[in-house]
Amino acid sequence: MGGSVYGSPFKMLGAADKMLDMANFDWRRLLDALPCYVTLQDPELRVIWSNSVHRRDFGEPKERACARIYKLSKSQCVDCIVKKTLEDGEGHSRELQLTSKNGQRLNVIAHSAPFYDGANQLLGVVVTKVNITSVKEMQKQLIMVGQTVAGMAHSIKNIMMGLDGGIYIVNSGIKDNDQSEIKDGWEIVLLNFEKLSRLVKDILYCSREREPNYKLINPNLVVTDVYNLFKDLADRYSIEISLDLDSGLKYVVIDPDGLHTVLANLVTNAMDACKMDLWKDTHLIEIRTKTGDDGSTIFEVADNGMGIDKELKHHVFEEFFTSKGDKGTGLGLMVTQKILKEHGGEITFRSRPSHGTTFVATFPKRSVEDTKPGGES
Amino acid sequence: MPKKILVVDDEPHLVKYMTAFLEDSGYETCSASNGEEALEVLKRENPDLVTLDLQMPNETGTRFYRNKTKNKLYKDIPVIVVSGLPGRHLAVSQPFAVFEKPVDRDALLEAIKKAIG
Repeated sequence: MGGSVYGSPFKMLGAADKMLDMANFDWRRLLDALPCYVTLQDPELRVIWSNSVHRRDFGEPKERACARIYKLSKSQCVDCIVKKTLEDGEGHSRELQLTSKNGQRLNVIAHSAPFYDGANQLLGVVVTKVNITSVKEMQKQLIMVGQTVAGMAHSIKNIMMGLDGGIYIVNSGIKDNDQSEIKDGWEIVLLNFEKLSRLVKDILYCSREREPNYKLINPNLVVTDVYNLFKDLADRYSIEISLDLDSGLKYVVIDPDGLHTVLANLVTNAMDACKMDLWKDTHLIEIRTKTGDDGSTIFEVADNGMGIDKELKHHVFEEFFTSKGDKGTGLGLMVTQKILKEHGGEITFRSRPSHGTTFVATFPKRSVEDTKPGGES
Repeated sequence: MPKKILVVDDEPHLVKYMTAFLEDSGYETCSASNGEEALEVLKRENPDLVTLDLQMPNETGTRFYRNKTKNKLYKDIPVIVVSGLPGRHLAVSQPFAVFEKPVDRDALLEAIKKAIG
């Protein structure tokens, strides 16, 4: 350390000398300035000194053993680098997961080094820990990107099969000069083109950070819009959609496009759940609105479709998770959840296999000040 | 007499595609959109080969396969699995061939010819 400090490019020698004096006199100031955790542990593994970053995140050491300070499990203490250094006098390092005094999980790389006195007697161990939580987070995101790309490839493959089929039928219609066959084939091409555009739109929506475009709206009107949009389609599958709207619902501040997408996604899912259910004669979907106790606005979409299996429940909000085979992109609920998060709200569901599912979207209360200037409607 | 192929897929467009392609290749076809229906058609039409999508709702594809294998009359009819999910064919034992979507038409035809001529 001395070499680099002496060789430092300080112009004001007087000030540099003063600092060096202080550093030599009180090296703790240097250690306190480091952005990593530094501790000194005795042969009983008790932490007898820690630097200020460490004290900030783990509290005063009070001669507690490291296992207590970091809330380490027994298995984490196997292969302890402090013990190793005490045994062989060498430096060691490893990755660890610690729990801070606030209960936060921190990933660190820990290095241990022997601490000798002037007579070369091993007194204890100096441990330095570098926080790599953000690196770990990035690693997780990279893995997610990989899974996302794989899921995308899968969706695209299914669409390609559809396009392939449509093109084949168009070509064979042209060959046979059969107008109705050409028309059939072309419809398949268009349908799959539509699927592809929806997929791309959903992917773009997922990949962007987006601020909700808050407006003062009557939520019941958006619900009615979505109802009108799906009514005929549902009718074709003999599914009845009904509304149960809280007429006392006042104007609320929500991004109307976001709300529309959320409701459309939930109703589409509800319809699919009904279509895939082969046991019931009549299928119903109900869209409800109500006000929560805390002033939040709650939207519910309930169906009596096939329900969600226990083992699938945990995957529902995952990207590209779909139980609908060719028909789903697996992004609908992901997008829905993202919109809710952007609003500071949440989406939950309850479901009974073969009885039906209810999704509940809760938008928190928001003041008119959140709306964009000129954005009121 | 041309050989007959049963196409099982819940996606009507894919049924149309597969039957059109197989008919153009000189086969007779029949189709079903789920596993239960497939079993009925199997009994009625007595096809020489089945192409089966295993990605249908309620696992009816897998159930159909099991029922078919259990029945002495039908257990020897070869099945070609067409699946969008890699690895999904492991749900059934001994399919004659497995194709991932999008299906390579020439390869599929070759497999069919190998199975039933």
